[in-house]
Amino acid sequence: MTSISREWLVRKTLMVTAMVVVVGLALVVFFMVKESLPAFRKAGPANLFSATWNPREGRYGMLVFLVGTLTTTAGGLLLGTPLALSLALFLTQVAPRRSRGLFSRAVEVLAGVPSIVLGWLGFTMLVPWIRSVTGSSGSGILAASIILAVMVVPTITAISRDALEAVPSSYAQASLALGATRWQTIFRVILPAARHGILAAVILGMGRAVGETMAVAMVIGPASVFPTSLTSPTHTLTTKILMEMGESTGVQRSSLFAMGLVLLFLAMALVVLVRRVSKARRYEGWVE
Amino acid sequence: MATREKVGVSTEVRPKLREETPSPKERGKRRSGQFLADRAATVVIWAFALLALALVALVLGVILWNGLSTALTPSFVFGKPQAMREGGGIWPMVVSSFYLAALTLLLVIPLGVGAAIYMSEFAGEGRVARLVRFGADSLSAVPSVVFGIFGMVVFVIYLGLGYSLLAGALTLTLLNLPTVMRSAEEAVKSVPKSYREAALAMGCTRWETVKKVVLPVAMPGITTGAILSAGRIVGESAAVIYTVGLFVRKVPWSPFQPAAPMAANIWHMYTEGALVPDWFRVASGEAAFLLIVVLVLNLLARLAASVVRRKTGYRT
Amino acid sequence: MTVAEVRARTAESRSQHEVVDTGGIGRSSSLKELEMVHNQAAVDGEAKFRLGSMSLYYGERKILEDITMDIPERKITAIIGPSGCGKSSFLRCLNRMNDLVEGCRVEGEVLLDGEDVYRRECDVTALRQKVGMVFQKPNPFPKTVYENVAFGPRILGIKERAQLDEIVESSLKKAALWEEVRDKLKEPALALSGGQQQRLCIARVLAVEPEVILLDEPCSALDPIATQRIEDLLSELREKYTIVIVTHNMQQAARISDYTAFFLIGCQGDPGRLVEFGETGTIFTAPADERTERYITGRFG
Repeated sequence: MTSISREWLVRKTLMVTAMVVVVGLALVVFFMVKESLPAFRKAGPANLFSATWNPREGRYGMLVFLVGTLTTTAGGLLLGTPLALSLALFLTQVAPRRSRGLFSRAVEVLAGVPSIVLGWLGFTMLVPWIRSVTGSSGSGILAASIILAVMVVPTITAISRDALEAVPSSYAQASLALGATRWQTIFRVILPAARHGILAAVILGMGRAVGETMAVAMVIGPASVFPTSLTSPTHTLTTKILMEMGESTGVQRSSLFAMGLVLLFLAMALVVLVRRVSKARRYEGWVE
Repeated sequence: MATREKVGVSTEVRPKLREETPSPKERGKRRSGQFLADRAATVVIWAFALLALALVALVLGVILWNGLSTALTPSFVFGKPQAMREGGGIWPMVVSSFYLAALTLLLVIPLGVGAAIYMSEFAGEGRVARLVRFGADSLSAVPSVVFGIFGMVVFVIYLGLGYSLLAGALTLTLLNLPTVMRSAEEAVKSVPKSYREAALAMGCTRWETVKKVVLPVAMPGITTGAILSAGRIVGESAAVIYTVGLFVRKVPWSPFQPAAPMAANIWHMYTEGALVPDWFRVASGEAAFLLIVVLVLNLLARLAASVVRRKTGYRT
Repeated sequence: MTVAEVRARTAESRSQHEVVDTGGIGRSSSLKELEMVHNQAAVDGEAKFRLGSMSLYYGERKILEDITMDIPERKITAIIGPSGCGKSSFLRCLNRMNDLVEGCRVEGEVLLDGEDVYRRECDVTALRQKVGMVFQKPNPFPKTVYENVAFGPRILGIKERAQLDEIVESSLKKAALWEEVRDKLKEPALALSGGQQQRLCIARVLAVEPEVILLDEPCSALDPIATQRIEDLLSELREKYTIVIVTHNMQQAARISDYTAFFLIGCQGDPGRLVEFGETGTIFTAPADERTERYITGRFG
């Protein structure tokens, strides 16, 4: 009898620890909503989603930062995805076994580099370099995209590598036995079979890019206006929150939380998207 | 009769998927461009792979080149930080980083492992499991700066902890919980079913089975996951800046004191650098030291798994 | 260079191997015990493949040793033997699918229409189109029925729809699958039954107009009825194609093949060797080698 009740207790305790993620998520959502309510009440959605950020005149528009987030994310994915996909293909299809370890170790190392360290690298090397080449300030969407590309490469590589490895080798064998070359096999059989997994990898990479803060903050600005070029300063949602949260109060502070809420919304949307894709992935065999 | 030269020579080893480049007259009905395309694609992929390798080398190289000499100076690592003066050290920041990591692990490992055990041993595929899965997926996607301002509101202000190691540890617990949980779950799931069945067949309860059989076997995986998340905690800054602090002069002793982990302090040097004349040297040294710490932790994670495995003698 | 010279040189290399081989003592005795009986039956007509003292290595391990045989054109040759004797590895030497195995190496001669398959300038992709392969487990691509059959032609650069349609239809007809799938061409191939999938794989091979078809235990994953249909199909295909089939099912070999080769390993870790090769009728009724008889009568393997 005692052993059964202890078993029950243990089970419930473990369930509580498992529920921490659910409660945590609920708390995060709750407090983001709660803290951003004053901004929605006092400034209103039209103001919050306008293009002008000027707290002294009561303008709390986040459009500039939203655009900054989207453009830097797009830029990072544009630069990072080809590299990451090539790496994943290289590691799974091309690399001789001996060099495979070196390359995959290198990707792991890159995944471990703290974002602040990458930001410092961007600030000390990349921005001055862009400045000297273009004659502009150097910081901006271009620099941020390059840094984000470096950050998403390990994520996209790792996940699409898993997807490529999950493709049954019998597909490749059938294709090669029909006289297809290695790359015909890769492009016509292996990549199509892994496409849902690769898509999921890119979406997760996108999530990483949207949420990245420190590395971007050190190379993007600061400026609260639309950039005039790829190398003129601007802000993203994350960097704006980071820069201003310390010294803001009232509606301004609340509007920063509203930006956090938008970020949260973007992140959750991507999670839902990935889950969709993974569900489709289960029917990987059922194509066209 | 055509014979190959290498009959009788046994040294040649055929590489995997080797280049398929025939002489022009051998191509037969094959379209001529394909072999060129195949060769070109291979060259391109190698170029990309080498580019990535060069990129990693560049990142590590530049950071270490700029900061390694500073980071390896004892008076820098163990020295007191200075403002308005040159020659400051980072000892309080080093301690803060490790203190914060230890405190966070203390909270996150029991929660993560508990959740993992629940998910793999007890939950099944019910509603609770689906909810937890969704929670973990979503939480792992939340940007760290959002965790930062959440921690600031809830732990720093609402619970009245102020900027403190504990507020940071609680925030980072939430941030790291999904990953710790996932790695622990993978470790637990890799334990063969037959082990469990053997224990259950001897009359063990589920919990006894978990405690005596599953956990010991899963230990190497759990340890690896824990050390890897230690690396992430040490490198985290966005969630730390508004919960723990950016700059301290003295080594923090109590979890209720404010502290300044290295990652956050680099940001401080970048924004408030004017207060420290040699801020560039300090930040470069700190970045290099931080990078080394993270790399060593990653290496340790790899080693730890094999050490723990050898000690327990279990194999998964 | 004559076959005899090649043999001599291979024998030389073999003796070198035994010196290098650490387990040489125990092994060489078992080799003697397993001295091959050359029951080189007079093959009717032309030989499609001529193997001369072919040996296969995976890294340091010798998988097959000293295989010498002719595979006759437009006949069905069955490869039988206990599992682990290198039957499948043997098959994969003929279209160089073994190239995919890291550290794989072939010594001796493998001549297809008089040309060495392992010569340096050999176009492996053209070889594999000439020598098609069907695998143990049906492995259609996760594409439609149509796209599976059209895969090979597309690889060859055929793009016109009409031409592809024609190839798909004729290949499916040759594989005796057309009637069953003519309304399902746009459906996923994986929705077909196992036997249909295997016939689809045969159609896929036929679509690139091969001269030889290698089948690696094609019926081992199928039920008796599906097996029957594949066997009927193979008997029809014999008219036009050279067929080599690996099978663990001796009745199957006896039923459908014209020639049979019996492979055997001495003991665990030894390379597989060809014990006996000849007309199927002779092998099954009056085998020259005692081991063949023991195997066929079911006393081991």
